[in-house]
Amino acid sequence: MLDLVPGLPLADTNFVDATWIMIVKSIVIFLVLLQIVPILLLVERKLLGRFQQRYGPNRVGPYGLIQPLADVGKLLSKQAFRPKGAVPFLYELAPALTIISAVLTLAILPFGDVKGDVGFYGIDVPIGILYFFAFSSIAFYGLLLGGWASGSKYSFLGAMRSAAQLISYEIAMGLSLLGVVLMAGSLSLVDIVKAQGEVWYVVPQIVGFLIFMVAGFAETNRPPFDLPEADAELVAGYGTEYGGMRFGSFMFAEYMEMLIVSGIASTMFLGGWMGPGPGWLDPIWMLFKMWMLCMFFIWIRATLPRFRYDQLMSFGWKILIPLGTLNVLVTAVLVVTT
Amino acid sequence: MEEVAFFIGAIGALGAAAAVVALKNPFYSVLALVIHLVFLAGIFLLLMAQFLAASLIVVYAGAVMVLYVFVAAYVGGIEEPKWDASPELRVIGPIMAVALFVAISIAVLGSGLAALGTPGPDDIPAGFGTPEAIGHLMMEDFLIAFEAASLLLLVAAVAAIVLAGRRRGDKGSGTEQRKVLVKADEQANAQVAGNGEGA
Repeated sequence: MLDLVPGLPLADTNFVDATWIMIVKSIVIFLVLLQIVPILLLVERKLLGRFQQRYGPNRVGPYGLIQPLADVGKLLSKQAFRPKGAVPFLYELAPALTIISAVLTLAILPFGDVKGDVGFYGIDVPIGILYFFAFSSIAFYGLLLGGWASGSKYSFLGAMRSAAQLISYEIAMGLSLLGVVLMAGSLSLVDIVKAQGEVWYVVPQIVGFLIFMVAGFAETNRPPFDLPEADAELVAGYGTEYGGMRFGSFMFAEYMEMLIVSGIASTMFLGGWMGPGPGWLDPIWMLFKMWMLCMFFIWIRATLPRFRYDQLMSFGWKILIPLGTLNVLVTAVLVVTT
Repeated sequence: MEEVAFFIGAIGALGAAAAVVALKNPFYSVLALVIHLVFLAGIFLLLMAQFLAASLIVVYAGAVMVLYVFVAAYVGGIEEPKWDASPELRVIGPIMAVALFVAISIAVLGSGLAALGTPGPDDIPAGFGTPEAIGHLMMEDFLIAFEAASLLLLVAAVAAIVLAGRRRGDKGSGTEQRKVLVKADEQANAQVAGNGEGA
């Protein structure tokens, strides 16, 4: 076991590989997922178009394939404008905070077991899933600061909504994963995947899986729970006053978080990298499962209308949390007795 | 290397803690408290207490502080009357503060610093600071204290619900809700105006 920085005894991180491999790994993971985001964006717009009986983007390049590049080019060349009422430093900090925490969470997604001397994951920390929760709660401050520091009523209301949404859904999300943790007997995501050799946890933990997906929609601010940026009521919520690449960062972080929630769901419930075929297919299986869950996100977006705000809150507090608690209780009893 | 990390964490934590007290705007105070918690989590990591570090961020920065921020952002724009203490409070306040400081100092010096002068992180037991180790401590060695604390929290939660229910009085009709919404709107206006002056 080698420390990341020799002489810095940070917490036990189960490093199996040398420092230079760690650096290469982080760059590879980042680049691969960075490339998926624009593809996902395009596919979402194309699919939404088809869902709504239209074509979607089809002007830039063959079948509109270069559309994301054109979008990024437009966002990058826009003026970085700050409204008069905005708080200077925090206004610029907010998008950076969301994007940093989203990218940092990628580190714990496992794309395969240890092969040779290289673990096919960023890091395998014993606190595992808590790492995901820690960074998703920091990501929230990005939205909150963005909304608060913009100095606009719509942004502010969006930020407040996202705060209320976060406290209602994070508890349910934690409870939904607790059942899996109890069954696997470990918080480490690599161990949890390995424990699913016989049967994927989506079968015994179907309730947990459903709660996690519902809370995941709230966590990523995706429709039908996109109340912090509800465009019919709040213009664009916390992102109203942002333009150019700062808006792009919020957008990018949202899709990154969608990938992360899909990745966590695949890891915890759908057997992670497991699938038929030789060992080198592992990362592809993981990416495939993540991709299918992302398609599910898009499908739901096209199907369900947005919930009303009080419906969202009471659904979280009165249904999901008691259900999650019951699920944990039953799982705990079964784990102890069998 | 670890000295550098420690001093970054310590200076950050102390500086942010001082900012919590010194800053006038309650919203910035809460933000400083969040920064303080992040630096503190860094120090916990340096002490190999990874579970504590993660739960500090998840529970405090992620849940408790969100509520604080929520409240501070809503009432932040309103001018707060200057604190005008009665003469008794002016005497008792500092005495209580000093007494608390002495009590905490005795507790820390009496137990927590036993590791000073030992070789340090090289000979800590395997698995130290992991969720398993903490779980064993909570469920075996300190079971009664742990259960008593959870009972206390349950009582507090029930009491909060009872108090909130009593204050609401009769079941809120539509007008009541509308009043709340209007008030929130006014406060949002005030907050926006406050931002404009601050910028």
